Amino acid sequence: MSEATGLRQPKKASADLFRKLGVEPVPDNEKVQEAIRHLDDFRFRVRSFVMAMESCVKCGACAEACHTYLGTRDPNNIPAGRVDLIRKAYKRYFTVQGQLFPGLVGAQDLDLETIEKWYSYFYQCSECRRCAHVCPFGIDTAEVTFIARQILYWLGIAPQLHAATAEAILRTGNHMGLTKAGIEDTLEFLAEEIEEDYDGLKVEFPVDKPNSDILYVPSSADFMLNPNTLKGAAMFFKYVGANWTISSEITEAGNFGYLSDQSRIQREMVTRLFREATKLGVKKIVWGECGHGWRAAKMYPPTVSDLPGVKRIPITHIHDEVEAYIKAGRLELDPKRNDRKVTLHDPCNYARACGHSDNMRVIMNAVVPKGAFVEMKPSREANFCCGGGSGILFDDPDMYQFRILASNKKAEQVRETGADTLCAPCSICKAQLYPMVKEHKLPVEVVGLIDLVGHALVFRD
Amino acid sequence: MDLIIGQILPYTAAVVFIGGVTWRIWRWMIPRIVHNITLSPWPASWSAAIVWILWQFATFWNLLKFDRPLWAGAWFMHIALFLMLGGHIAAFYTVGLQFHLMAPGIITPEMSLALSDWIGTVLGLIFLVALLYLLGRRLVNEQVRNISSASDFLHLFLLIGIAALGNIMRLFPDYHLGYAPVREYLAGLFLFNPQPLPDHTLFIMKYTLVMTLMIVFPFSKLMHSFGFFWERWIVNRPYKEPARGLPGARLQLRK
Ligand code: HEM
Ligand code: SF4
Ligand code: SF4
Repeated sequence: MSEATGLRQPKKASADLFRKLGVEPVPDNEKVQEAIRHLDDFRFRVRSFVMAMESCVKCGACAEACHTYLGTRDPNNIPAGRVDLIRKAYKRYFTVQGQLFPGLVGAQDLDLETIEKWYSYFYQCSECRRCAHVCPFGIDTAEVTFIARQILYWLGIAPQLHAATAEAILRTGNHMGLTKAGIEDTLEFLAEEIEEDYDGLKVEFPVDKPNSDILYVPSSADFMLNPNTLKGAAMFFKYVGANWTISSEITEAGNFGYLSDQSRIQREMVTRLFREATKLGVKKIVWGECGHGWRAAKMYPPTVSDLPGVKRIPITHIHDEVEAYIKAGRLELDPKRNDRKVTLHDPCNYARACGHSDNMRVIMNAVVPKGAFVEMKPSREANFCCGGGSGILFDDPDMYQFRILASNKKAEQVRETGADTLCAPCSICKAQLYPMVKEHKLPVEVVGLIDLVGHALVFRD
Repeated sequence: MDLIIGQILPYTAAVVFIGGVTWRIWRWMIPRIVHNITLSPWPASWSAAIVWILWQFATFWNLLKFDRPLWAGAWFMHIALFLMLGGHIAAFYTVGLQFHLMAPGIITPEMSLALSDWIGTVLGLIFLVALLYLLGRRLVNEQVRNISSASDFLHLFLLIGIAALGNIMRLFPDYHLGYAPVREYLAGLFLFNPQPLPDHTLFIMKYTLVMTLMIVFPFSKLMHSFGFFWERWIVNRPYKEPARGLPGARLQLRK
């Protein structure tokens, strides 16, 4: 718990860090007024926000749909309860009934305490959209979370993790703050590993190669945590003989801006992406394994950027391309090399926002032996979040404990499959599931999907 | 009394209802659907999207799938409500002859009246029972109680009041009123040719509650009936995938 507020809150970014990001924190005595002004602004701009505010019937169907409520049993973690933290003020200031009969309709003046609650509960929501999937109206709490986090950011309130990552983005174009030298170093090392592990197979990892046809955008976390995902991608590109490159200016499939500051940092990432793609002359951008980042890259660029490249350079996911090659019968894969009992965690952003439920399964069934793949229940678009979605991967003890609680449902699902391998093709899911597996004592190894593809590819010549 | 409840209130209620709903929807149309936030798997086309939305509407599909006990209350309550709304219009307009007018050769006027009575009674009872069930659920289920405010209960009480009065008028002959006097009165309202309110306490009570509902409607969560379509229009829309294949690669999808 935070000492000051008694709420579960991640460590806050300092005022100095915010100034580096170009945001002057709003003094406490002006925060409330400023927040109301922003809410007033948003209600004339974003319809998904207004509809979430105005069409909930408080039926409670979403309660059991949300893994954070299931893990904490805190009424403010019921999606409708979470939204109410804003809705009460929205009603108070912007509706007739809330102005006339606040007590009756559950309208409330906004105060600093509530803003602290926003910080607590909108950083417990993982923007997984399972509530939208379940709600009879399709009310999408994630849309409210986006706006709550944006307002908090403008007030000068954000987790250290998100703000520091935003700063790294502005400095290096990736979350981990990797430099070109560091990137090349790691990739060289991975090329050597592949050569050792796969009978002298020579794989290249081109960086900033001019006149490439394909720009591959990996997650920067792969350089530290999930090297096998990078290897798998390189082996696939080698197999099909692609003229590809990684850009050291945008070595980042994620987009933390999307998770805390859509107005600037999210756009910054999109701008960088298309600037680099244009500079390198690529004909297509292929995305690496990252859920929220893929949603930000697939669904948002046309509406967050008016750069001409956005309309001219198509973006697909590496899963899309591998699936197409498998369906065309153009890859020789040896499933026996992945002889394990594997289950698939559908990353929320793939399953509920990007339409990937099928392609992951086409790939999975091609790279593991028949019968080795067991589904979780529920799966696909009804799947539960890993508990770390939207980058709530906090390490402060209190928030760490929350992460483990929020993954209760996931752990239960994984255990029921009896699998020894948990495939989670998303960087945030992986970063969340490594500790989840440890704390819940699950006997599984966490891997990516492209890892399995690389391992199963049969190279001849 | 007759002037206020019989003549002034009805026009007020109608104006507030139509004006209020229009104003709310007008306001929804100002903010834009900024990004494509469709829920996947998304519909393949706009027509598929519309079919899906109507399917959700007709079956309360999500509740059926994810919250069966709630579905049992909500679906029956709403179906009874929609059918009764239609039934009220038809029965008062035709004085209970709607079925006769639909199939004159087959259904006699007497049969039509009996049918109208019978269907109305059954629906009225389903409606009341379902409402009581939803009220019970809101009271007993801790999660739902936690997110409820007073108005959530008041809407239910209002509807329960209307349903209960309607059922009493139907089931107890002593309190029965019949279509004709109401039709005469309502026709007066529609034609701006004022007729006195039928002299019937229960009717006047029920009628007042209905007008209250109409006035409350645009300022309450009851707007979810329209909100449903506006929200789904945002989250159920098609998306077009870019073509697959890696330009310049040695191995192409097609040989
Ligand atoms: C577009 C069509 C509609 C849909 C899809 C819809 C859907 C729903 C759903 C899912 C609930 C939740 C059940 C609950 O809270 O217990 C609900 C509640 C309710 N609906 Fe509707 N509804 C529609 C139209 C209407 C209309 C026209 C009315 C007119 C009065 C209405 C009145 C109510 C009431 C009073 C409740 C509250 C029940 C409660 O509080 O427990 N609905 N509706
Ligand atoms: S399921 Fe939808 S309508 Fe019901 S309480 Fe949750 S957000 Fe509101
Ligand atoms: S988006 Fe996910 S975490 Fe957030 S309220 Fe909805 S179900 Fe819960």
